[in-house]
Amino acid sequence: MMRRSKTCPVCEMGVRIVDYKDERLLSRFTTERGKILPSRLSGMCARHQRQLSRAIKRARHLALIPFVKAHSR
Amino acid sequence: MSRKYEIVYIFDSALEEPQVDEHLTRFHELLKTSDRPEPITDISHWGKRTLAYPIKNREQGHYVVAQFETEQALLDEFERAIKLDESVLRYLVVINEGLATLPATVDRIERDSDDDEGEVAPDSDEEAE
Repeated sequence: MMRRSKTCPVCEMGVRIVDYKDERLLSRFTTERGKILPSRLSGMCARHQRQLSRAIKRARHLALIPFVKAHSR
Repeated sequence: MSRKYEIVYIFDSALEEPQVDEHLTRFHELLKTSDRPEPITDISHWGKRTLAYPIKNREQGHYVVAQFETEQALLDEFERAIKLDESVLRYLVVINEGLATLPATVDRIERDSDDDEGEVAPDSDEEAE
């Protein structure tokens, strides 16, 4: 999985607010089964981790990203 | 007090573009008031997209994102109308945080391998203030 980096990957991108419509970005911070990746693994700062979890939940509701990814992919 | 909102609609993919527009104008008519004749500030049609999971046995949906400003009282009526409409598979109303309405990547309708090739979508992270 993702190696712990010293700085928050979302801060590095210069993103202030995580967009729930950007499913490419969101899927980078989910496990292969679709769970939200813990900040311990992604190195995400607390502020962005909170935004991310909300964004992922919204994106799931809108069927942009799956709740559970199928096993064979 | 009025607030700025953002709504995402997922319409039934069986609907054609003109029918979708028809529904949209009907919904947006509800937000119009005499002191706010143009409540919609931004609208973007994403077109047909494959859903991440089936909703009401549909594999595809027609996505529309719109930003608007309205009063709480009108919003309730507006949401009720959408809820009752069978052609809307799903919708989401959130406070407008100044995000762009456009899809993060414009050519992402066909998603075959979305693993990690897209590093950053620069057009998605616009912000206000």
